Amino acid sequence: MSQAMLVAAKTGAAAASHGGPATSRRRQEIRLAYLLLAPALLLVFGVMVYPLGWQIWTSLTDLFVGNTVARFVGLANYTALVRDAEFWRAAANTFGYIAITTVLKLAVGIGMAMLLARPFPGRALAFIAAFLPWAYPAGPAEMGWFWFLIPPVHASYGEFMARLHFVVDDALGAGTWGFLTVVLLNMWRGGSFIGIFLLAARNGIPEQLFEYAALEARSGWQMFWRVTVPILRPFLALAAFLSLTSAVADLSNLWMQSGQRDVYPMVWTQAMHLALNGGLWGLATAETLVLLPVLLAVLMLCFRLFEPLEEDPS
Amino acid sequence: MTARRRFDRLVQGALLLLLVAYSLFPIYMVTLESVKTEEEDVFGSPLYVRHPSFEWYQGLFDDEEWWVAGGVTRRTVPFLLWAGNTAIVFGVTLVVILATSLAAAYGLARLRPPGWRWWRRALLAMFLVPQTLLFLPLYQLVFRVHLDDSLLSLMLTYPMLAIPFCVWLLSAYFQKLAPEIEESAYIEGAGRLTAFLRIVLPMTWPVLVAAGLFALGVMSSDFMLAGVFLPNQWHQTIAAGMSTMDVSLEDLSVVAGVTASSLPVVLIAALLAGTYTRGLTAAMVEGA
Repeated sequence: MSQAMLVAAKTGAAAASHGGPATSRRRQEIRLAYLLLAPALLLVFGVMVYPLGWQIWTSLTDLFVGNTVARFVGLANYTALVRDAEFWRAAANTFGYIAITTVLKLAVGIGMAMLLARPFPGRALAFIAAFLPWAYPAGPAEMGWFWFLIPPVHASYGEFMARLHFVVDDALGAGTWGFLTVVLLNMWRGGSFIGIFLLAARNGIPEQLFEYAALEARSGWQMFWRVTVPILRPFLALAAFLSLTSAVADLSNLWMQSGQRDVYPMVWTQAMHLALNGGLWGLATAETLVLLPVLLAVLMLCFRLFEPLEEDPS
Repeated sequence: MTARRRFDRLVQGALLLLLVAYSLFPIYMVTLESVKTEEEDVFGSPLYVRHPSFEWYQGLFDDEEWWVAGGVTRRTVPFLLWAGNTAIVFGVTLVVILATSLAAAYGLARLRPPGWRWWRRALLAMFLVPQTLLFLPLYQLVFRVHLDDSLLSLMLTYPMLAIPFCVWLLSAYFQKLAPEIEESAYIEGAGRLTAFLRIVLPMTWPVLVAAGLFALGVMSSDFMLAGVFLPNQWHQTIAAGMSTMDVSLEDLSVVAGVTASSLPVVLIAALLAGTYTRGLTAAMVEGA
């Protein structure tokens, strides 16, 4: 029995216990619930339905700049993508980027939460410092990292960074430096978000639970994998999902910050390149949408992992 | 204190220093950049500034149409106007986001209509739609309802970036509140609205701060939508204005502008960081 029904049944006095008034009350409640839900749904789905529909429709046409009447071409854009080696390279890069940033962000976040969990002098200041990477607006933050890592040629440290750039690319393959900058940007912002998130979760879990576990565990490492990770698992899943969406958003920010250079080919930056520099909107929209099913599958997996923490108490 | 414990504390201290340095580094870089003269920017060290100057900031607040910096005349940036526009957009949108999220979260978690979990899941799923090319159809939409070049365009589109998470957070909290909390009020004859305003809302305060700070973070990180929707210099927000200006080593007005605009956000975030964390804890962990 839901909490709302419980309230309804109790406030509905004795008469409510035999059907009639209780069910009409419940019907009223449901109507009220949808009424309360409506503005939020309208602002999210109402605003999104046209842009998303447009993207899906455009991905099925041959729309490009200079062609006023777009022709329906079915799945031709998608099959063209699947046959394109460049796309597969970008897709591999994207999976690498998401996997690496997720692991790094979780590692940074867990480390941050564990460092800040116990009191020590100056904790409040360290906490605020750790909070800032996420709170600082993304635009200037990316500017800061980007200018440092890939500086304009005539800056005083430009030569040094350029040399470093070539040394890294030489040792690990062309494009590595560009890839690392993208990873670093996202890790910096997302790691802070996850860290504060996990710290908040850790704060809510009684210290005794960790102390009991510490008696059982033989080493710090074992304690971490057998106790800390399972306790934090639902929070890790939710944080990882939220930071996954930021990993995608950061790519387009970076595109803007870098003066629309393709710093490293990923699915979404390649799509922007196709659309804005190449004018091929049909193909570009297909490319932005092609990974959506994969992302949805990841989300469903995350729901399974983090929904236990929302189960009814009753 | 044993040697082992002293060693542990040393490691912890070193890691903390590393964490603080890593967290502040890019913020330091950008802020430093904004107080450099053009000459020092090109020839000076990237890590410190020898002769800090505020010429770029002055340029933002100049009244005259043109000003001189680094021997070149430049156009004035109507920064105060942009700042005012930004405050209007953020203020109104924040109220819209929090009001709609509160209502929706209450409806979902306290009244539990059939399929309420799925509504919440569907909202979170909207975060997955890639934003990369969304600005074009969004602009078409904004244009069609005649909101282009108006601050209303941002007030219409920003909420969708924050509402899903705010609803999730607030509803997770409402879900954990025991029904008895409002019951006594109902027994005394109070309506649902009174019980909500008098009893539930005051308890929700930290969670509401967490949701609001999240929304503020999302809004202040947007350059794309603002830049696309607001082409007219006199109707822009800071993000819109800055995104249309050239960033170069010779003209650091943009750097000064983003630094000046992120300062209030950073201050608010620093002040509310503790409440933000308490709010997340309250929403996520039972009985906290």
